[in-house]
Amino acid sequence: MHCSQTTRRYGVSFIKTLIAFGAIALAGVAGVAHAQWKPTKTVDVIVHTGPGGGNDLLARAVAQMLEKEKLLPVRMQVLNKTGGNGAVAAAAVAERKGDPHTLGFITSVWIANPLTTSEAAVTLRDLTPVARLLLEPAVFAVRADSPFKTLKDFIDAAKAKPGELKQSGGSVTSRDNIIRQTLQQHTGTKWAFVSFQGGGERLAALLGGHVDMMVIEPQEAGEQVRAGKLRVLAQIAETPLPGYPNVPTLKQAGFDVVATPQIRAVMAPPGIPKEALLYWEDLFAKLGQTASWKKYVADNQLEDSYANGAQLGKAIDQIEKDMRVQFQQAGMKLAR
Amino acid sequence: MDVFNGLMQGFAVALTPMNLALCLAGCFLGTVVGVLPGLGPPATIAMLLPLTFKMDPTGAMIMLAGIYYGAKYGGSTTSILLNVPGESASVVTCLDGYQMARKGRAGAALGMSAIASFIAGTFGVVALMVIAPPLAKLTLAFSSPEYFALMVLGLAMVVLLAGDSLTKALLAMMLGLWIASMGTDLFSATSRFTFGQIELLGGIDFVIVAIGIFAVGEVMANMEPEKPLDMLPVPKGLKNLMPTWQDMKDCRFAFVNGSVLGFLIGILPGAGSTISSFLCYGIEKAVSKHPEKFGTGVIEGVAAPEGANNAETAGALVPLLTLGIPGSGTTAILLAALVLWGFKPGPLFIQDSPALFWGLVASMYIGNLVLLILNLPLVALFAQLLKMPGYLMYPLILGVSIVGVYTANSSLFQLGLMVGFGLLGYLMRKLDFPTAPLILGLVLGDSMEKALRQSLMMSQGDLSILFRPIPAALLLIAAFLLIVPLVKQFNSVRVQVIDKEA
Repeated sequence: MHCSQTTRRYGVSFIKTLIAFGAIALAGVAGVAHAQWKPTKTVDVIVHTGPGGGNDLLARAVAQMLEKEKLLPVRMQVLNKTGGNGAVAAAAVAERKGDPHTLGFITSVWIANPLTTSEAAVTLRDLTPVARLLLEPAVFAVRADSPFKTLKDFIDAAKAKPGELKQSGGSVTSRDNIIRQTLQQHTGTKWAFVSFQGGGERLAALLGGHVDMMVIEPQEAGEQVRAGKLRVLAQIAETPLPGYPNVPTLKQAGFDVVATPQIRAVMAPPGIPKEALLYWEDLFAKLGQTASWKKYVADNQLEDSYANGAQLGKAIDQIEKDMRVQFQQAGMKLAR
Repeated sequence: MDVFNGLMQGFAVALTPMNLALCLAGCFLGTVVGVLPGLGPPATIAMLLPLTFKMDPTGAMIMLAGIYYGAKYGGSTTSILLNVPGESASVVTCLDGYQMARKGRAGAALGMSAIASFIAGTFGVVALMVIAPPLAKLTLAFSSPEYFALMVLGLAMVVLLAGDSLTKALLAMMLGLWIASMGTDLFSATSRFTFGQIELLGGIDFVIVAIGIFAVGEVMANMEPEKPLDMLPVPKGLKNLMPTWQDMKDCRFAFVNGSVLGFLIGILPGAGSTISSFLCYGIEKAVSKHPEKFGTGVIEGVAAPEGANNAETAGALVPLLTLGIPGSGTTAILLAALVLWGFKPGPLFIQDSPALFWGLVASMYIGNLVLLILNLPLVALFAQLLKMPGYLMYPLILGVSIVGVYTANSSLFQLGLMVGFGLLGYLMRKLDFPTAPLILGLVLGDSMEKALRQSLMMSQGDLSILFRPIPAALLLIAAFLLIVPLVKQFNSVRVQVIDKEA
């Protein structure tokens, strides 16, 4: 009796254990299924530049790194949807509503363009923010034989001769111009902004002495500084760049302005499943930890700046708000 | 002696079996990319870039450069055979190349295009090696006012591209200038002539216009006659396909013109190979003893632009390698590639990485030779293509055009544009409007407008900035070009009047 009772007791508890195990196992399976949505076919990455453009190169480099680090079980292919300064690409991402196998690599152009162009109907609010990858720092550069030794020298000269100094840059909606607007506002000065289509032309205009100053990528400026052609006055970066330890940030140079950051980030189409979003956030977080990524960031003198989807969404809202103010002050007509 | 030592070091690098194979691969790939309309070197190089991460950078650079200049060799093929420009820089080659093919001289045109490319390409490499650094510094003196004057000079060439009626040529050019103004304005971020289409925000790519007007328009015009279409004559035998000694003699000046001017335009970061080929064509016609024959299939009209766009390639590498300034889409990608491989493109690049620089230069000598050897036998092969009857030929032209435009943009809207411009091209043919001025206006209009606005922003609205020495000289030549035909016309009227009075 005793024995059988024990057996029965054991039996019951065994069954109980079994059930418990089963429950855990079930929960486990469910849990795994929840966290482990996985791409099952080739992932399309939509970029707004043609092959060889900045965003295209980043997307191709990321695809390469994901493959090398074996982080992504499927292939990632880059789709170039050029045209409309990003509007065509934004529309293409929005069109793939609910498709977790599509991503878009964005830059600040995707935020600026719908603000000034009524035809660009898709804003980033229509898409799902996934992850911020990078901040692009920049530096203020002048010719090495320029009389300006500090940013203050330049501002003082602009004050003395309003409108006579010149800065070369890209489109009027580019970061170069936004930072100019901000500084002009802050210091009550004025200087001209000469737009050039290509980065090469901007640099050539500065080196040839046709303009006085330029906001330029740190990597590009670094070589010109080393060759004694350019001097860097200040840097636009959250923390001083490793390549420019002795160059003051805007704040350190005495200009306490908020420099609207230039971001590179990943967006997904609207309405993708929550598990897919979690998967992509996690993937890009993991990518940020790899040696390949760290080397890429260092070689190109970028600022590593991972943020998840929710944080990215907030950052985009803030950038859009800043841009709105800057564009209005620059006398541009806002489309929305 | 430095140059000699460097070059020897370069050949030691370039002649290793691996680098030689990569040079061959690049040249071959470049030729293929050049032949295919739509697919250009920038796209190809960008797509191959991830592959090069695991390669030795010198070898990778040799291969990518091979694609770059190899495409310029292949670009003329479809221009000559099908009137479809294979490469933006080969648009001008359509004008005389295709007419030569219609007259049974496709082989000579193809052969001459390879020979001119070889001569100018080699000249470009020599110039890159010998005079690059001092010349590069001079290019920095060139800025917006100079570019503006250069573009005006280019537009003045309309006089040379005009057929019988200067009025019609000017109208066509204006149409080109109008199309060039479409899209988002760089200076104010406002949309111009976009008609609410997001696809038009970035403007219209001139390659689409050129393919539409030249190729699609040509096909439509040829579909008209109800009688069966004749096959184009193709002479038998390799010897009859190749350019003759007389052809070579006729092209003497074109070789020099294409080489020197192509290279000089190439080193200017703001110009580009399309502009270089247009300018060389124009100059060739201006100095020719028989300018009236241009556009009907003269061989100089092929040699000059094809030479120019090859010399331009070597020229474009000058600001990239000596100053760290990319002047074109392709050189911008090469710059990005150098950074990815861990090099530091900039003013100290040659000093820091002599093996790469000299290896590249040496490989370009080899590559140009390889391309000549590769392209000449292909002439015979491609020339056979013209034996196709019309019912195969014209669908082929349409197919190549459609695939070309779609590969470049993967957009149906752009295909629609191509068809629209095809209709326009047909209409212009019917009404006897020359099409080249439209393309000229389209190519130059955008850069000219930007350069003018940049100049005036630099001078705070003062026009005198346009009359500093270099722009003043260029503008003077342009004015001269425009006035000469007027004087000629006036003279002929006067002669007639005198004759009547007498």
